[in-house]
Amino acid sequence: MRHRGRGIACMWYPIGFTVAANPSAAVVKVNEDGSATVLTGTVETGQGALTVLGQIAAEELGIAADDVHLVSGDTDATPMDTGAIASRTTYVTGNAIQMAAAEAKKILFEVAAPMLGVRPEQLEARDRRIQVIGFPQKNLPIGEVAHHAQVVMGRPPLGSASYNPPTVAMDPETGQGKPFSTYVYAAQVAEVEVDDETGEVEVLRIVAAHDCGTPINPTLVEGQVEGGISMGVGLALQEEILFDAEGRQINPNLTNYIMPTSLDMPEVEVDIVKNYDPTGPFGAKGVGEPTSVPTAAAIANAIYDAVGVRIHSLPATSEKVLMALREKRAMQKQIPAE
Amino acid sequence: MVIKVEDALRADRLTELKHPDEAAGVPAVARKEGRAPQIVPDANQQTPAVGQRVTRPDSRPHITGQTRYIDDLSFPNMLHMKILRSEHAHARIRAIDVSEAEKMPGVVATLTGREIPVNSFGPSYQDQPVLADEKVRHMGDGVVAVAAETEQLAQDALARIKVEYEPLPLVLDPLEAMNDDAPKIHGDSNIYATKAIRKGDVESALAEADLVMEGRFSTQMVEHVPMEPHATIAMWEPDGRLKILSSLGRITLGRADVARTLDMPVNRIQIVGTIVGGNFGGKNEITTEPVLALLARKTGRPVKGVFTRQDEFVSSTTRHPFIMDYRTGVRKDGRILARKVRIVADGGAYCSWSETTLGKGAILSVGPYRIDHLEVKAYAVYTNKTTCGAMRGFGAPQVCFGYESHMDDIARELGIDPLEIRLRNAFDEGSSSPTGQVLHSVAVKESLETVAHRVGWREQTS
Repeated sequence: MRHRGRGIACMWYPIGFTVAANPSAAVVKVNEDGSATVLTGTVETGQGALTVLGQIAAEELGIAADDVHLVSGDTDATPMDTGAIASRTTYVTGNAIQMAAAEAKKILFEVAAPMLGVRPEQLEARDRRIQVIGFPQKNLPIGEVAHHAQVVMGRPPLGSASYNPPTVAMDPETGQGKPFSTYVYAAQVAEVEVDDETGEVEVLRIVAAHDCGTPINPTLVEGQVEGGISMGVGLALQEEILFDAEGRQINPNLTNYIMPTSLDMPEVEVDIVKNYDPTGPFGAKGVGEPTSVPTAAAIANAIYDAVGVRIHSLPATSEKVLMALREKRAMQKQIPAE
Repeated sequence: MVIKVEDALRADRLTELKHPDEAAGVPAVARKEGRAPQIVPDANQQTPAVGQRVTRPDSRPHITGQTRYIDDLSFPNMLHMKILRSEHAHARIRAIDVSEAEKMPGVVATLTGREIPVNSFGPSYQDQPVLADEKVRHMGDGVVAVAAETEQLAQDALARIKVEYEPLPLVLDPLEAMNDDAPKIHGDSNIYATKAIRKGDVESALAEADLVMEGRFSTQMVEHVPMEPHATIAMWEPDGRLKILSSLGRITLGRADVARTLDMPVNRIQIVGTIVGGNFGGKNEITTEPVLALLARKTGRPVKGVFTRQDEFVSSTTRHPFIMDYRTGVRKDGRILARKVRIVADGGAYCSWSETTLGKGAILSVGPYRIDHLEVKAYAVYTNKTTCGAMRGFGAPQVCFGYESHMDDIARELGIDPLEIRLRNAFDEGSSSPTGQVLHSVAVKESLETVAHRVGWREQTS
């Protein structure tokens, strides 16, 4: 018989390295037509980081995502970056890019101010224009300002900056300190069906709510959550590297190391929790790793809810669930009264 | 950083952004039938840029198969590398004979660990040889590399290499590895990192609790399984500079490691991070880059090395198995008074990112809960198994399985709903973390309420 159950789990997760310095540096160049080129030492590892970083540069410069091109991943051409690790790219590299873009924008403002007859601090960059704050009709296209800056004034608008999250070392005895600048939070609910004859667990639905500060690109946040959940399902139910007594892996292949495929994926519903972190670029934090954190716990709790057995060790394979069910049934049998 | 009023106001706009179609008021029917594009502006062309559902510039080449990963790249006269791996999980290397392999037609060069100028690397401790020279510590240790005209020839040559081993006693269980009499994998202790967090008076608080719950939870070793395995091409430019194309996710630190192992100035090395077909933490440190560089120097030709799926499993890093003991004192109303956690992380044969994974895992192991009295002790332990390193979540999925399974056990024992017990204990804005940090932009309760609302948690009892 199949039994339904649901389980909940929540988590917290830090952005960046534990105490250790993990800086990112960036260079932003505004070209003579108002488009921009960003140099970053991070690498696109498939998560869409470059798209998000481009949006951060575009936002600061008041231009659109397509107006920004990113040059990345070349130690000869790009400034240092601690890399695509620790869910740090949006927050740390993003802050560096925002700061570098602000430097470039400062030059644009200084060049535009006399053209518009105002002081630089009275200007803002918005909708591909440099405009007077409060008087948006007084404006110049950013391309015109950038061209004037480079070709007439001889001041190419570019900026460079670096960012390192502020931390405080942990006391070696008590661990007290400020190991991270900021954290993200999340909760997931899993709905499962457990077959009490085979021990098989089917995950029907996962509902996920993730805080990432400002979602710079909601589509990419949702993509991260969905991908993280697939890893979480594998950790919960299927994946395990097994060793023989000599220390040899016995399943180092995708025939015997079973990963979830699209057919194993439950319905996934993602909510992005409204939040804003003043220390992140435009309020953003990050989302990469946390997405795979609460899934296995939520599934394990759903298994308990469905059939009343606590899985103490992952993965909750059919064999393990069945053994636990047998043990539970054996314990439930009463010694007959005399 | 100063909080600007306009930023805070802007936050409201940013988080309330809808799908561009929805925002533009396109009727749902039109969206479904794909008639929207005439009306809806392209998100990539919109200002402000933040909050837009911008499409990735690399999505079209990925989907149409035009993306070129390292395995799609070729250079004139390029050679292919394969690595012979250990036959033992723990053994001393007595002798290596490559003469038969080198005689094979098509085999151009071999390389052993002793030819590597500084044969060690690692992000915390440099305890890992690029190719094992004196000792092998797990079955995935590379011992000899071969460069040949084709992948198949390089693979065939591995069978002709003779390595003489002196097997050593091995230890696979992390708890056994902690014993004084366990075989030692490096130095004189297998415990190579410890982390402690202490706050308040945990023993007194446990004594005052209405209920003390205990539980042991453990997790398994898993692989990242990126679609693209580790891949690298190394070549020497005519000006004597080394150029490496690599699937590495951290090129700045990769360059530092290559410079150190090859004993070269950093400015003589260029690392190009190519398009990566999945990382998940597994491509965060060098693997064969120095080997390929040295084979390229020996042969004067570019050399490519691409891991097979088996290489990926046995020699790249994996997720740490954790053994976690939880002991928690609670009041009848579900408030947690005190928590003790002990963690043993099985690090496998080398440290890699274990020291940092352990630190993060120890801090997070308490859960996102307000607990005044704490004691966490965590250990990372060597075993003769595949090296564990960085993997998406960095210790967090393991401890989350521990603290959240434990939380449900406590809730059941007290007869409190699992959602309610979490809400009663969760961090608030300004709560103190286990390390005494004042937390900001906290959203645990909001996250819990959001999922509860979506599934109708309170409406249906199960």
